Amino acid sequence: MSKSLTGYPRADGRVGFRNQVLVMPLHSALCATARRISEESAAVAITHDWSGEIDADFARIFKVMTGFAANPNIFATIFLTLGTPGELEIIDKSKSIGLSNSTIVNVSEIGSMELLYEIALKEAISYLALADQVARVSVPWSSLHLGLECGGSDALSGITANPALGVASDMLVELGAVSVLGETTEILGAEHLLAARALDPNVGKQIIETVARYERSINYEGIDMRGAQPSRGNIEGGLTTLEEKSLGAAKKAGSAPFTGVLEYADPAPKPGLYFMDTPGHDIEQLTGFAAAGINIVVFTSGRGTPTGSAVVPTIKVSTNTQMALSIPDLIDLNAGTIADGTQTLREVGELIFNEIVDVANGKLTAAELGRHQEFSLSRMYGTQIN
Amino acid sequence: MKRQGFDRALRGVGIRDYQLILPSVVCSTRIASRIANEVGSKTFAHQHGCGIIGNDVEGISDFFCDLAKHPNVGTVLIVGLGCETIQGNELAAKVKESNPTTSYLVIQESGGVAGTFNDGITAAKLLKSTYPPHLKNLDELVVGVEFSNSNSEIESLIAELKASGIKFEIADQNKNPGLNFSELMRRGVHLIVSFTEPNQPPSGFPLIPTINIASDSALHSALAKEFDLPNGSTSSAILNFILDVADGKETKSELSKAGEIIAPRVVRSV
Repeated sequence: MSKSLTGYPRADGRVGFRNQVLVMPLHSALCATARRISEESAAVAITHDWSGEIDADFARIFKVMTGFAANPNIFATIFLTLGTPGELEIIDKSKSIGLSNSTIVNVSEIGSMELLYEIALKEAISYLALADQVARVSVPWSSLHLGLECGGSDALSGITANPALGVASDMLVELGAVSVLGETTEILGAEHLLAARALDPNVGKQIIETVARYERSINYEGIDMRGAQPSRGNIEGGLTTLEEKSLGAAKKAGSAPFTGVLEYADPAPKPGLYFMDTPGHDIEQLTGFAAAGINIVVFTSGRGTPTGSAVVPTIKVSTNTQMALSIPDLIDLNAGTIADGTQTLREVGELIFNEIVDVANGKLTAAELGRHQEFSLSRMYGTQIN
Repeated sequence: MKRQGFDRALRGVGIRDYQLILPSVVCSTRIASRIANEVGSKTFAHQHGCGIIGNDVEGISDFFCDLAKHPNVGTVLIVGLGCETIQGNELAAKVKESNPTTSYLVIQESGGVAGTFNDGITAAKLLKSTYPPHLKNLDELVVGVEFSNSNSEIESLIAELKASGIKFEIADQNKNPGLNFSELMRRGVHLIVSFTEPNQPPSGFPLIPTINIASDSALHSALAKEFDLPNGSTSSAILNFILDVADGKETKSELSKAGEIIAPRVVRSV
């Protein structure tokens, strides 16, 4: 563990491991302009389908938009806005969370989509030049907020990549970092094992209740979640039951005690291992992590996925060698060597740890090289929580 | 005068000739976008296709089929990931029932990002060359009318459309104009006239030309240049504009590409 971290300290005390310039459209009609700017520059951008609705999902959308725009990996955010009260509230909240550099480009004041593009592109290029001049400095382990994710799981997920990620997570928690396990639907059946590792009995109760609450919300719709989990892709990958999938998915969190439970997109208040209530949907989870200020994600996969985040480097770990070889430009690290018998779980865990540190220090992931910037707004769509 | 359109056999006649690169899941939207940019086709970003449950599984699948079925769409290339809920090959089989000029690719079976990108370009070009557009008389133009609250301007346009024998469909039930556009797409309208809500900007639907008509709101006054027609346009001026767009004139939102495709959902993701 002789490795050390370098990053970009922000004014609010958080630390970024990237200096991204984000173009953030605050209305769906402005997303095409944001995409165009990211195609013409090194700025990143998101696309979404929110058109200013102030409905039952607004609080959730507000939390995600504000947290995302203020992720510590961002050097500056350029807001594209119509200037409506709801949009201005998002900008104000992002600043109060800790976003230090921002520019508001208001199309209502400019009066033209083409001018919106030209002005915002110019702002992006100017911020990118400034961001390039900032030097990395040594930062503490507590500045690293790791997100643990799996998707497209297969029969090897629970015995190769996930437990190896658990080794890396334990190492980081031991050093004082934050590590966050998500995917409520994918610990269903394993929640009692996680609850038993809670530092405080109330945290254990919260883990159990969070899973039960999710299941109730789905049952309320008259749907059995087991109809979608494990997914068809999981079954084709060799998984048989939701419980088998959950037992494997939970291994990403290693063996450290749980410090707390977080609501969707809420930041961890202090170092330690946390459980966050997120959907299993890969991009809703990834977006919620980014909105919570998580600055590195490790994403294990048995089937392979190219996805990433505009603001959070996402390291892909393959559960099996065959996939790592057949779709190499999606994968950063192969944990299939554990099943091949050529490396031990501990060895691969240390490789993942080293990769996390290297990526934090600036190494680009496959998803970053492919400019994958997927984004989802997690909505309830009327689903009741009771 | 007989108006010409693009022959889609059983799907009717379209007023635009768009190839659709259809990502079956959020995970393939980026590659779909790269392919579409390379070959000059249409695509859209969305967050669906996986982690969906209950009525959303069939609902989203049907919605994607309706996009592929629309007469403004020529050929369709479906790009899937491989392990998602809505499987690309099954979606392709379903789409082919109404649009036989459909092909599909799966990232997990195409060698990854670079492989899928290259295969996608080849497949999209092959579809275009195998199924070149054929012109046909457009016997019936179908106009979609979208608004949130009726007024005399809208009533006057509807009377004008009736008098001119032009078929029209109305969507006024959704507060979100994007959902109104999606509803009109499913009803097969060739173009949309949007009496844009006073607090909404001009917008559009990537596969359907959308004519935005301004209200007298402060937002619309500020964005006057982005509207196709000003507040208070007469029904005959709107009708003339409709006919020009049907004949190929591009609307402001077609030029700016403003507007996303919004798919209806009913249950949270899992």
